[in-house]
Amino acid sequence: MASRPLNDDEVVSEMNKMVAFIKQEALEKAREIRIKADEEFAIEKAKLVKQESTAIDAQFEKKKKGAEIALKIKQSTQTNKSRLRLLQAREQYLQDLFSTARDQISVLSKDEGRYLQLLEGVIVQGLLQLLEPSATVYSRPKDLELAKKAAANASKQYKEISGKDVEVSVEATLQDDSAGGVKLRSGTGRITIDNTLDERLRLLEDRMLPEIRHDIFGINENRKFYA
Amino acid sequence: MSSKQSQGIQTLLEAEKEAAKTVQQARQYRVQKLKDARADAEKEIEEYRKAKDAEYKTFESRHADDTSDTQSAVDKETDAKLAQIAESYKNNKDAVVKKLLDRVVLVKPELHRNLKKAS
Repeated sequence: MASRPLNDDEVVSEMNKMVAFIKQEALEKAREIRIKADEEFAIEKAKLVKQESTAIDAQFEKKKKGAEIALKIKQSTQTNKSRLRLLQAREQYLQDLFSTARDQISVLSKDEGRYLQLLEGVIVQGLLQLLEPSATVYSRPKDLELAKKAAANASKQYKEISGKDVEVSVEATLQDDSAGGVKLRSGTGRITIDNTLDERLRLLEDRMLPEIRHDIFGINENRKFYA
Repeated sequence: MSSKQSQGIQTLLEAEKEAAKTVQQARQYRVQKLKDARADAEKEIEEYRKAKDAEYKTFESRHADDTSDTQSAVDKETDAKLAQIAESYKNNKDAVVKKLLDRVVLVKPELHRNLKKAS
């Protein structure tokens, strides 16, 4: 260990060493900073890209889903429209059928023999519904005579079936353009029964709908429950 | 002697200054890099977005074709069914009208089921 003071050459040499040292330290530090900067650059860039792409993907998925739902709605609307068309067509045919039937019932009263039987039948039916001791029968003016005959037979049949007596009177208050049949009213006037041909047809139209549907249009494939 | 000392100190100070400059440059480099990261990321994101949009467009156009196809298919089916209904009605109408009329005149008078014939 030199304990004597340094000579000039040694001083210079020491200076150079120190300068070199300072320089070296600086370079190393600078190098570290740069390397770290590059790393951070890569990380930051990747993070930003990932963030935004995830957001974009989510948007995209949402859009796709929206489009799919819109498509489903469209298809459902199409199916509905189609069904409605079919239903409307069937309804129209049904109405046509009923109006044809209504036109034809007026022919029924032409055959006197059968019409008399019919009148008897509907009067007895009416009496059995009323179950009253007296009743009034209302017929068309042109049926008055027939109706009186029918009423007489009917009260006999009524006695046969129920064992009860009944007093029947006949009046001609129905319209002539009705298809036929009778209305009845209990003696007290409290109960009325409409057993005209028009009314019977109307009731049938309603009650026979399932059967009519089946006969004209075939069975309903979508139906699951039968009585 | 003192001038030589101050000369030495001067040299060292200059070396320090240079060193500080070097480090400072590195720091500026870092700051710039961070800005670059943002800019580069923006570019990449924009490209990604464009690619996705194009993808969506093809998806959309494909589906538009689908809907018009289904519509015409449904219409064809409906028309076929309508024709079937018309045919069926034509064939069965008369029989059903007859059925209705027959039942209008069919009368079956019956005593109410809760009653017995009074003797």
